[in-house]
Amino acid sequence: MSQGFDGFGSAFFDGDSPVPKEVSLHIAAGMLQIGLDDGETLRWPVDEVRQLPDLAGGKTAVLRRTTDPLSRLHLNDLSLLAHLPHLNRRAPPKGRGRLVAWAVAAVAAVGLQIFVLVPLLADNLAGFIPPEGERALGEATFGQIREALDETGLNPLAICDGAEGVDALNTLVGRLGSGRDLRQAVTVSVLDHKMVNAFALPGGFVVLFRGLIDTAQGPDEVAAVLAHEIGHVISSDPTRHALRSAGSIGVLGLLFGDFAGGAAVLFLTERLISAQYSQAAEIGADEFAYEVLAQAGISPAALGDMFANLQAEYGDSSDLAAHFLSHPTLSRRIIAARAAVDESIAYAPSMSAEDWAAVQVVCD
Amino acid sequence: MSNTSNLNSPWRSKPQPHVVYTGGGLENGMGIEFSGKRGALFWLALKTGFFTILTLGFYRFWMKTRLRRWYWSAIRPGGHPLEYVGEPLEKLLGFFIAVVILTFYIGIVNLMLMFVSFSVFESSVIGYMLSFVGVIPIWFYARYRARRYVLARTRWRGVRFGLEKGAWGYAWRALWYWALTIISLGILWPRMTFLLEKYKIDRTYFGSARLLQGGRWQMLYRATLPFVASLVFLAVAVLWTVLIDPVFPNGIRDGSALFSSIDDLIETGKTPADWVKPERVFLFPLALSGMLFGAIYYRWVSKRIMANHKIGPDVQFASRLSGVRVTFVYVLGNFLAYLVLIAGLVALVLFAAIAFFGGFGLAPEMMGAEALAGLPRWVSLILFAVVYLTLFLMWGVLHNTFVTFPLMRHMAVTTSLPLTAGLELISQRARDEFAEAEGFAEALDLGAAI
Repeated sequence: MSQGFDGFGSAFFDGDSPVPKEVSLHIAAGMLQIGLDDGETLRWPVDEVRQLPDLAGGKTAVLRRTTDPLSRLHLNDLSLLAHLPHLNRRAPPKGRGRLVAWAVAAVAAVGLQIFVLVPLLADNLAGFIPPEGERALGEATFGQIREALDETGLNPLAICDGAEGVDALNTLVGRLGSGRDLRQAVTVSVLDHKMVNAFALPGGFVVLFRGLIDTAQGPDEVAAVLAHEIGHVISSDPTRHALRSAGSIGVLGLLFGDFAGGAAVLFLTERLISAQYSQAAEIGADEFAYEVLAQAGISPAALGDMFANLQAEYGDSSDLAAHFLSHPTLSRRIIAARAAVDESIAYAPSMSAEDWAAVQVVCD
Repeated sequence: MSNTSNLNSPWRSKPQPHVVYTGGGLENGMGIEFSGKRGALFWLALKTGFFTILTLGFYRFWMKTRLRRWYWSAIRPGGHPLEYVGEPLEKLLGFFIAVVILTFYIGIVNLMLMFVSFSVFESSVIGYMLSFVGVIPIWFYARYRARRYVLARTRWRGVRFGLEKGAWGYAWRALWYWALTIISLGILWPRMTFLLEKYKIDRTYFGSARLLQGGRWQMLYRATLPFVASLVFLAVAVLWTVLIDPVFPNGIRDGSALFSSIDDLIETGKTPADWVKPERVFLFPLALSGMLFGAIYYRWVSKRIMANHKIGPDVQFASRLSGVRVTFVYVLGNFLAYLVLIAGLVALVLFAAIAFFGGFGLAPEMMGAEALAGLPRWVSLILFAVVYLTLFLMWGVLHNTFVTFPLMRHMAVTTSLPLTAGLELISQRARDEFAEAEGFAEALDLGAAI
């Protein structure tokens, strides 16, 4: 039993010559019979015929046979399609192993790059940047941070310049750094922002936020934070961090690239990475702070008190937000700071009551 | 037949253009039809774009493949659709390969550049510039490779297209021609356009037949006319309003005085007494729009001129592309797409202001603001992300529907093959395996979308 179809306007291409061949079309005994002008008849088993997907226009179809990658039958009589049972069945995917291998390789390459090579290179190169270069790097980053934190969108975030307060802070830095090689001059600035935080930048910039001074219960806590940040300056952590960012941002840009701008993803991921790799540095800076504070006759427990304030403000690292604060679990560090206290020594306050009062109004 | 020798590479004699009489219709030649509907494309772009967002971008390889299949099959020389046989999985594989290779280059090179920039120049700007400049050769390289991949996966009447190897040759030439163009202040731009096109076309095959870009680069100067005219117009406007008969004869001492004068002008309709015919400043936006028009016009009309000089062995191309119409489509389509983008961005900023900062004092008057501000932070964040992604999805969909679609259609229907006698002698070419597909272009965001 054979059924004929309208071959008018249909064409067969043999996969070698771009010249259309007229066809007569029949289905008989489970075969699609394609009759060509030269008398030859091709027989395609109906379950081996597939239709090309996503064809525009909709009034025609293009058919192929699974065993022949090149031949094509352009069809005008769509009633033929009803007789072909597996038009849209997909071929089993080829080279899946290879794809998985390269996917693993890509993930491994990015991981190796971000977590091993870039940090290694950054750590080694950081020591070779001359002080002027570090200073320039710090100034540029400081400017960017001030602009990023500004909420009005007009001027960079203001630096607090109450003369007496600034003097008091500088005196404190001098006291903390006395008898030590700080590697470079430390510049302390206070930013007029309510965030309870402080950070160090390349080139010896130490930055406190007004929020930190407001939250502090006394001058010792500010001194402790300063000592901690000076610890970062000494081990040139900020410079390494800047170099690492330069390397890893480019790599992540490759991965996320043009997908919907990607900038947000990029920023968050970069923050995650920096929080990851600065934990060891934080512990190191803490230990440096205990030492410096003890030497200056200030109680190391002050650092623990400051952390306790932070904890009250933000909660512990148990919630997601704290992960972005780039500090290891605060509770652990509070215990460590209190353990660093030597009971036999009588500690003195880090500055006079007048100086502390001046520091508290440095932003007014 | 004497022409057979032309069909196998390397050919022994170059094909010569024939004089073809097109006046009485295309007796021997063929036209190109375009058979897709805009609505169908819209839904395909919307559907695939939606999946791309759901899969955090991984579906984009499938989206690209499906859109190309659709566009290719809409273009029908002689009534037979082009076929795109590229596979999504090979694109994904190519992307992984490119990531493996480029990670090392980009990561290490960026870091070293930053180091040198800070150590030697004490600034980051030089580092960023160098790292940008360093990517330019790879950018051209990737473009050629992407073109080779797309041509290798394009068939018409069952016969493959192909592009010979030569991506580095293309990259160096592109850099050199760009340098010449910059040194000559743009006068040699047409030379760059022509020679880069010739490099690509002379290495392009359809089956066994090699194509050839004929003509000379000087012929492209015709296409620069609107741009040059606008430039001259701008120069004259500058001369007139600044030197010959200044609008501000006393000069502008400071910007704030100018702004307050403009405020007065808007409120009272009066201009300061010392301004001379200030309406002439409107010559500038006019001249600048003329230059924009001229730039788009050049891009497309140069394509037309070069298409008219593309030949294969006893195959010839002709184009009747309308520069004005294409420019109109381009400007209007992009305007629509960007309008949605900007309207969406404004909505997004308002949303963010209300949800995260409780609004800048404007919240209470707006409907629903209270409810938004009251949402938990993570819900707002997710909502924000969804709106942000939807915005880019809609932009992509509209760009496809109102820019790519009409441009493709116009290009297709205005192109024809007045001479096709050579087709019968063409035979199939071997498959170009090309494992890395367009991975480099994808990783470097060349927008190789279609």
